[in-house]
Amino acid sequence: MASIDRLAQTSPWRTLPLAEKALLALGLLLLALVLPPWPGGAIVLAVAAATAIGLAGIPAAQWLAIFAAPFGFVLTGAATLALGWDSGGFRFLPDGAVAALAMVLRSAAAVSSLLLLSLTTPATDFVRGAQRLGLPPELAETALATYGFLFILQDTATAMHASQAARLGYDGPGRALRSLGGLAAALLPRAFERARRLETGLAARGFDGRLRVLAAARTISPIRVSAILATLASVAGTGLWAAWR
Amino acid sequence: MMPPPLLEARRLAYAYVGGTAALTGLDLTIARGERLAVLGPNGAGKTTFLLHLNGTLRPAGGQILLDGRPARYDRASLAAWRRRVGLVLQDPDDQLFAPTVAEDVSFGPLNLGLSDDETRVRVEDALKAMGMDALAGRPPHMLSFGQKKRAAIAGAVAMRPELLVLDEPTAGLDAAGAAALLTVLEGLHAAGTTLVFATHDVDFAWAWADTVALFEGGTVTVQGKAETVLADRAMLGRANMPLPLLAELGMAAGGRLPRRRAEAVDLFRAMAGRDG
Ligand SMILES: Nc1ncnc2c1ncn2[C@@H]1O[C@H](COP(=O)(O)OP(=O)(O)OP(=O)(O)O)[C@@H](O)[C@H]1O
Ligand SMILES: [Mg+2]
Repeated sequence: MASIDRLAQTSPWRTLPLAEKALLALGLLLLALVLPPWPGGAIVLAVAAATAIGLAGIPAAQWLAIFAAPFGFVLTGAATLALGWDSGGFRFLPDGAVAALAMVLRSAAAVSSLLLLSLTTPATDFVRGAQRLGLPPELAETALATYGFLFILQDTATAMHASQAARLGYDGPGRALRSLGGLAAALLPRAFERARRLETGLAARGFDGRLRVLAAARTISPIRVSAILATLASVAGTGLWAAWR
Repeated sequence: MMPPPLLEARRLAYAYVGGTAALTGLDLTIARGERLAVLGPNGAGKTTFLLHLNGTLRPAGGQILLDGRPARYDRASLAAWRRRVGLVLQDPDDQLFAPTVAEDVSFGPLNLGLSDDETRVRVEDALKAMGMDALAGRPPHMLSFGQKKRAAIAGAVAMRPELLVLDEPTAGLDAAGAAALLTVLEGLHAAGTTLVFATHDVDFAWAWADTVALFEGGTVTVQGKAETVLADRAMLGRANMPLPLLAELGMAAGGRLPRRRAEAVDLFRAMAGRDG
């Protein structure tokens, strides 16, 4: 989670309107699902990966590493389609292999489309988007505050762990267990104390129960929207043409 | 008749849950427009005292006077109080909550009821003043400690309070950050803002404070002009604090005591020229 968040926060696409990124990513996702997997899926995969790495500035190695996790599941699933089991043991099923390949392509295309959105959009922007679509502000604010809080707790836990380790607290399984227990026990009151002081800080700036902030204005650009629509149309066109030729 | 001071603490007493007596009958006066440094060792009660200055903590004994009138702690009075008195906490993580630095800084101005446009100007000004404009879009959890500190200070500065209270403002700032902060504080002071800051840093207090209050064991042992209190070796020694470096050098040189680094350099250059 932390690495996805970090990439999203630093992506040059972070400041683009969520609606534009959603249009592109969900459009590609839809194409991944409806186009014939060959070559449609492959085209979607190529476009989504190239956009993420080439335009949205996600380092290729990081993109691959994050892509690999869900892709592993896809491969395991595909293996069950391509392999049969009978009295003679495992056997390769030619029909199954075609189905498996189609599934792999389609899933890879779908995953890469979604990554385009999730690697360029911090979680907090999604909450803001949901708020515009009708999520109650109280819920949205709680979600945002909790999200920020998680990072502070994580930092605290990391620092405490490092300090315990520096004092040989993780030397051997017995000690490690005791140190970890101590860390967990210390984290809870720390979290409460932190929440209390956060409220003090907010109250000092006039907190009255509503966490109003001024989100950066992001205007939707007709040029970018046209470019997105043109991309989607050409992916769809090429995919269909190549399949029916 | 003299107008009453901006804020006054009389016989202030406070004990934390569990019984630690943090303030034990503390008297202190904050005059309009002054720069007051609250100095004292760890645990002397500085933070506890500062938390009384905007009504966060309510004294168990004694009282706070605002413009000569006893402070009130109902919701409306507290809200009015906090419009006038800004507070920057010791730990910036206790203050930053929003997804980005700029959004966090906008929180206070919006709570003052300012328009979006006016808020945007305030946010830009405050961030620029703190040298944080390039990081406006960053989430707080991706900042260094000193950067967080600057963001937290910007959040209070953007509200343009009458009295700005800062708990250890320079702790954790690098030289450039501290210098930027001092420039901001100078600007606020020139614009009429009253400043109160807690610090361990006698040199910082020597360079910047008009008035100094020495804290010890939950009381003020002395409050007076910075050039008097901070040049009194015996008084500082009782509070376990060294003389400010420039004061000590000035005494050794046997002349006027320089308050700023540049003054000291000029002084020593002049002496070297005289001798050489
Ligand atoms: N939350 C708390 N609960 C109980 N006791 C506390 C709490 N916070 C502070 N104290 C105690 O109150 C006294 C005054 O603490 P305070 O934080 O005001 O000191 P300080 O002068 O700000 O110190 P420092 O220079 O370390 O920041 C200390 O004895 C401290 O142990
Ligand atoms: Mg303190």
